[in-house]
Amino acid sequence: MRQLVILGIVFALIGLAPFVIASEFWLNLVIMTLYAALLGQAWNILGGFGGQFSFGHAAYFGTGAYTVAVLQVQLGVNPWLGLVAGGLMAVVVAAGIGFSTFRYGLRGSYFALVTLAFAEVLRILSNSVDFTGAGVGILIPLDQGAANFQFVSKQGFFWVIWLMALAAFTVVWWLGNSRFGAQLMAVRDNEDAARALGVSAFRVKMGAIMLSGLFSGLAGVFYAQYFLYLDPYIAYGPAISIESLLVPIIGGMGTLFGPLLGAVGLHLISELTRELIGDLPGISLVLYGILLVIMVLFMPRGLAGLVNRLRPKSAATGARHA
Amino acid sequence: MTDDKKSAGIVRRDFLKTTGAAALGLGVTGFPAVLRAQPASVKVGLIHPVSGFIAFSGNQCREGALMAIADINAAGGIKSMGGAQLEAMLGDSQGKPDIGAAEVAKMTEAGVNSIVAGYASSISLATSQEAAKTNTPHVVDVGVSDKIVTRGLPNTFRFGPGYGKIAEFAVDNLDTINKAAGSPAKTAMIIHEESLFGTGTANLLSQKLPEKGIEVIEVIKHANPTRDFTNIVLQIKAKKPDLIIPANYYNEYVLLARTMRQQRVEAKGIYSVLGGAASNYKFVKEFPEAAEYIMDCNHWFNPKSDVALQRKAAAEAKGLVYTYEVFLAYNAVLGLADAFERAGSTDKDAVNEALSTSTMDMSYMPYGPTKMEGGQNQGAQPVNTQVLNGDIEVIFPKEFASADAVFPMK
Repeated sequence: MRQLVILGIVFALIGLAPFVIASEFWLNLVIMTLYAALLGQAWNILGGFGGQFSFGHAAYFGTGAYTVAVLQVQLGVNPWLGLVAGGLMAVVVAAGIGFSTFRYGLRGSYFALVTLAFAEVLRILSNSVDFTGAGVGILIPLDQGAANFQFVSKQGFFWVIWLMALAAFTVVWWLGNSRFGAQLMAVRDNEDAARALGVSAFRVKMGAIMLSGLFSGLAGVFYAQYFLYLDPYIAYGPAISIESLLVPIIGGMGTLFGPLLGAVGLHLISELTRELIGDLPGISLVLYGILLVIMVLFMPRGLAGLVNRLRPKSAATGARHA
Repeated sequence: MTDDKKSAGIVRRDFLKTTGAAALGLGVTGFPAVLRAQPASVKVGLIHPVSGFIAFSGNQCREGALMAIADINAAGGIKSMGGAQLEAMLGDSQGKPDIGAAEVAKMTEAGVNSIVAGYASSISLATSQEAAKTNTPHVVDVGVSDKIVTRGLPNTFRFGPGYGKIAEFAVDNLDTINKAAGSPAKTAMIIHEESLFGTGTANLLSQKLPEKGIEVIEVIKHANPTRDFTNIVLQIKAKKPDLIIPANYYNEYVLLARTMRQQRVEAKGIYSVLGGAASNYKFVKEFPEAAEYIMDCNHWFNPKSDVALQRKAAAEAKGLVYTYEVFLAYNAVLGLADAFERAGSTDKDAVNEALSTSTMDMSYMPYGPTKMEGGQNQGAQPVNTQVLNGDIEVIFPKEFASADAVFPMK
């Protein structure tokens, strides 16, 4: 319950952003940080809590994004309905991938490679069929208005991503305090032992991948409505899969606040390096990469681990169980 | 943010201490009053993919735009604004639309007066849309997707040609060149990269070539990057098309052309549309055998214009390869400067209005009279080039041609 209170306070503080930040640029940075935290938390459900390392979360992200875009452009469906459809389609794709991998007991690097392959297959498919616009991509017509999920100011987008992220973080808090979450972590720590205790590993992992897919899909819907343009590389490309796993790895896998810390850390580093040496092409990316390597080397438990180390021992012990 | 404010405050205080006294002294000693009335600079945001997989083209764009800014400033700046100097604000989209849009937001906060962006169509779509939210004038330098200027954004303009025009021009001229040679080309294969540029080009050509009596026997799409074209070239050899039509970025174009040369592919012609390397001096210089006789339909300068040749020489003196990215970005900045000149202010509505009524003289390009419709310069058109004797020659339209087409290839 203590973590839920902290979560509430953190999101309440983040919720002050539109009232205290006048700059569209800084508000955009907060929005993109929340978006990265959502992507990271989605991955964290399956990878951090379930121990199933996915290299293909772009499959769910892209499905959510393309669903809202295609429904809108090809069939004239309102994007708010597309939001629901995008989330559900991502769940369906996640269920399909989960069934075809967990059913046959794929684990570890095999599971990772298969998820990567699924994302690539979807990228190639979306690059080939007409209704996604193929390689030309799909452009959502600019028609600003809250009814069209195209807010005139960034504040509208802020509240949407804030709500999505809050929902994802609340679900993860629930995971840490529920029977389902305990079963999921038991499967992560020792699947055979969990099975021996009567846990249905397949059912638990299916639940985790579908939850994970739902939030990745919602992130995809948000991206599509925020930038109004998609192509196969943007939607299903490896960049999304990498960002999804990098955020919790940097922040702290299997922790509630890890993805938020990771998203803040990554965006701050990215912005700082661009501000410091932005005019020298590519150098900021080199510095970004070096900082990431240093963080991974010296903070194997991520930023959340560092926070725990810096806290008094009694508090840290309590937090580790959360 | 707090740190920024602190550092800005310290700098400002120190600056005022030292320069205030100096300025007072100069005023007393009768230094020209003009120093005290310098017009504010006009901020031009340059957002290009200067890192990432299209960094070469992005850097070329940036260099072209910076050259234009330097030339305009050296010629007295924006005269209707008291000689206001153009000031470049540099941004890197890293080849990603979302980062390009974020750069626009950042520059808008920093008081940018206009934007020139973003090389790739997908990035230009994102940057122009973000700029539209604040009505900031936005000139697209290279992005050729027609969608960029058909969305009804009142702030988005393009002085160069778009896909529709280029594809139509490419097909018509290919037909003319083919008929002039007795119609030897009856079949074609299209090899294109998988993104918006290559796919869009392939789709348009697949529709239009059959209308000219040229059957498209195969369309092959490849990923970016592709580092081995052997299989694709073997397919070309097996199909024996009369024409090979590549539409891909620089690296893939070079590899494809070299592999075709190595595999001794025999075709009556290689005819690119917006070929990544076919109209590129770097390719012609480094791989002269692979480049010889390749025809292209692409952006190009007017080889009969002294102004264009002077700009080419100036770019080469700076060590630049004079590619279309350089002169299209240069032109985009010229178009903006012309609009500021006629608007006489940085008022966004006034500058957008000036851009929409632009009749800028672009005789250094092989264009007709400049006339904006929906943000698109209707006078813009590509040309046909061909690599002949290790140089790039314009072969069509005739009024701009510097050589005659060699077709079929020898």
